[in-house]
Amino acid sequence: MSLLAPIICDNGTGFSKVGYAGNSDPSFVFPTAIATRGPASQATRSGPAVPSKPGHLASKRGVEDLDFFIGDEALANAKTPGYGINYPIRHGQIENWDYMERYWEQTIFKYLRAEPEDHYFLLTEPPLNPPENREQTAEIFFESFNIKGLYIAVQAVLALAASWTSSRVNDRTLTGTVIDSGDGVTHVIPCAEGYVIGSAIKHIPIAGRDITQFVLNLMRERGEMVNVPPEEHLKVAGKVKENYSYVCQDIVKEFRKYDAEPYKYFERYEDEYSVTGKNYSVDVGYERFLAPEIFFNPEIYSSDFLTPLPEIVDGVIQQSPIDVRRGLYKNIVLSGGSTMFQHFGQRLKRDLKQIVDRRLVDNALASGTQVKSSGVEVEVISHKRQRYAVWFGGSLLASLPEFYSSCHTKAQYDEVGPSICRRYQIFGSAT
Amino acid sequence: MILLESNNYIIQTTLAEKLVKPSSLDVQFVDFDGVRFHLSTPERKTCLLLSMSIKCWDELVKYGVDNVLRREYGDRLQAAAEPEYNVSLELDLEKFPPAGEEREALVRSISLLKRNALAAPFELAFETQKQLAAGGSGQGDLLALHYRDEEAIYVQASSDRVTVIFSTVFREETDRIFGKVFLQEFVDARRLSTIQSAPQVLYTTRDPPLELRHLPNLAQSEDVGYVTFILFPRHFANPSVAESTISHIQNFRDYLHYHIKCSKAYMHSRMRHRVSEFQKVLNRAKTEVAVVDRKTVSGRSLVR
Repeated sequence: MSLLAPIICDNGTGFSKVGYAGNSDPSFVFPTAIATRGPASQATRSGPAVPSKPGHLASKRGVEDLDFFIGDEALANAKTPGYGINYPIRHGQIENWDYMERYWEQTIFKYLRAEPEDHYFLLTEPPLNPPENREQTAEIFFESFNIKGLYIAVQAVLALAASWTSSRVNDRTLTGTVIDSGDGVTHVIPCAEGYVIGSAIKHIPIAGRDITQFVLNLMRERGEMVNVPPEEHLKVAGKVKENYSYVCQDIVKEFRKYDAEPYKYFERYEDEYSVTGKNYSVDVGYERFLAPEIFFNPEIYSSDFLTPLPEIVDGVIQQSPIDVRRGLYKNIVLSGGSTMFQHFGQRLKRDLKQIVDRRLVDNALASGTQVKSSGVEVEVISHKRQRYAVWFGGSLLASLPEFYSSCHTKAQYDEVGPSICRRYQIFGSAT
Repeated sequence: MILLESNNYIIQTTLAEKLVKPSSLDVQFVDFDGVRFHLSTPERKTCLLLSMSIKCWDELVKYGVDNVLRREYGDRLQAAAEPEYNVSLELDLEKFPPAGEEREALVRSISLLKRNALAAPFELAFETQKQLAAGGSGQGDLLALHYRDEEAIYVQASSDRVTVIFSTVFREETDRIFGKVFLQEFVDARRLSTIQSAPQVLYTTRDPPLELRHLPNLAQSEDVGYVTFILFPRHFANPSVAESTISHIQNFRDYLHYHIKCSKAYMHSRMRHRVSEFQKVLNRAKTEVAVVDRKTVSGRSLVR
């Protein structure tokens, strides 16, 4: 039965990506939400339902613990009277284990239709996840689900592994800087040989949700949104962001281009109002290049966070140990939906290169030597699988033969206990 | 979710998606009991090939799976299956009926591929029962279906009933206990007046039921249990009832394991709740440390 593909489960704050190893896309992507009986907060106060009297099952006991929905169904049932919606993961970390256990239960049995006893699992964890959480996860997977083997990988490392498919990568290294931008938050994570340099990680409070909001603000200011029904505003802004946005090299030139030939550059977005079936359309203009610009010039959107992304990346690498810095500059990997903008990688590379070169010149001036530095290579890697890079990296690693020997098996777990999951072996890199 | 669905969700959603927007595709996935699927577009974007590999295919062939699949899928069934797989269906998206109920029904029937394949021995047994009933007595062959490495389904027709026996193995101590309690409750539940028409269920551990005693190399250990369902003609005389009987009975093992896992999850949530209650008690019981303000020589308070 070891022929059966391992299951890759990437549970993020917003969405869960689950599927079988060896595929290029996850089989299911749905919100990490669970709708249970009772209001959202009740379960924590009174605990799970208790049967009133002992006796035989069918006559008395309820099935409240089975009465729940996950994913899209949860959102659809959120408004049904009697159900409350819960998000068991906050900031990438699992907060409510009761909900999470049931969430996994239904993911495996209803959606994946797999008997967990026959499969190996690869799960992901955010950087700086406490080891206690890893132990809890292992406890659930080994004791509730009796899985064959488990591997918990750090998301950033999987994102690095996913970049191996890019044509520009020719050595399979696990050293690099990962820029992971999802819906809620953007992380810049340096990795050296598969290990995350925890002290240097930086979080940026600008991500997908903020870009959408910014697009919405711009379009409202221009008065485009007047003929769009209010409840569709966010959806329209999201579509505009996904379908029309790109990163420009120079804002001033771009503005001039648009003003000179508006008909060439302005786009028209059309949609139908789902309630009345009426059509509406909006003009899409400057927001096409202004939206992703908030990564590079955050002052146009927020007043409290003002450092541009290239500077943050540079700072992160400068905080890392000196012997890996070259490797970190050489391999900057993008992951997550908010890095999908066209030319995002090129712009980041250019800006970062400028910062690095300027510093080299300054250093040479300050030290007054005639010796010239050979320069630092800066490379930003974007690839086709960027959107679900973490999941894809997991799928890639789990289809390697070494995967099975790097997993902790059920027998090992039974021997040692949950603490076995504090350590995981890095594998798969060529170096 | 109390009952498991019998159709495969991945096939259903992928097909629905590809019907709207065809694109090239190559995915492999599994279903319960070691069934593997491969869905790909070998030639062009609108022509999908769905292949399935199932453990007990040789036995299924003996029980006439070809006829069942031919009846369900007609020309879509490929004469030669893809290598490494047992059966292949060719799905030409251009030949699908236009969007609507008909198309949904077709997509659903394709997603029931595993169920339909496994239905063969049951249909054969129901058929045999009818013949035997006309004859008045006798017993049909014992149809064995080794659908997992260690577990099997046995189906036997008699003149007045069809007996379905599942052998179950629990590898885990806790699971065995949960399974035992669950199955005993399952047997007891039938005493309720509302479900009198349900099939009779018998549960034995260790000793195989009489129908199976003659079989060689049956595993004899504490972990092995046998669950026997006795289906009477009322459970399969009507074609639509027979269909749902087959769908439900096939899923029995997965249903059992799903519920064992759910019970464990429930137990765990009770335990977590209890621990947090105890922690509250402990926190209340903490004695307050009397804070004495210690002074240094110069009269300032000493902070450590």
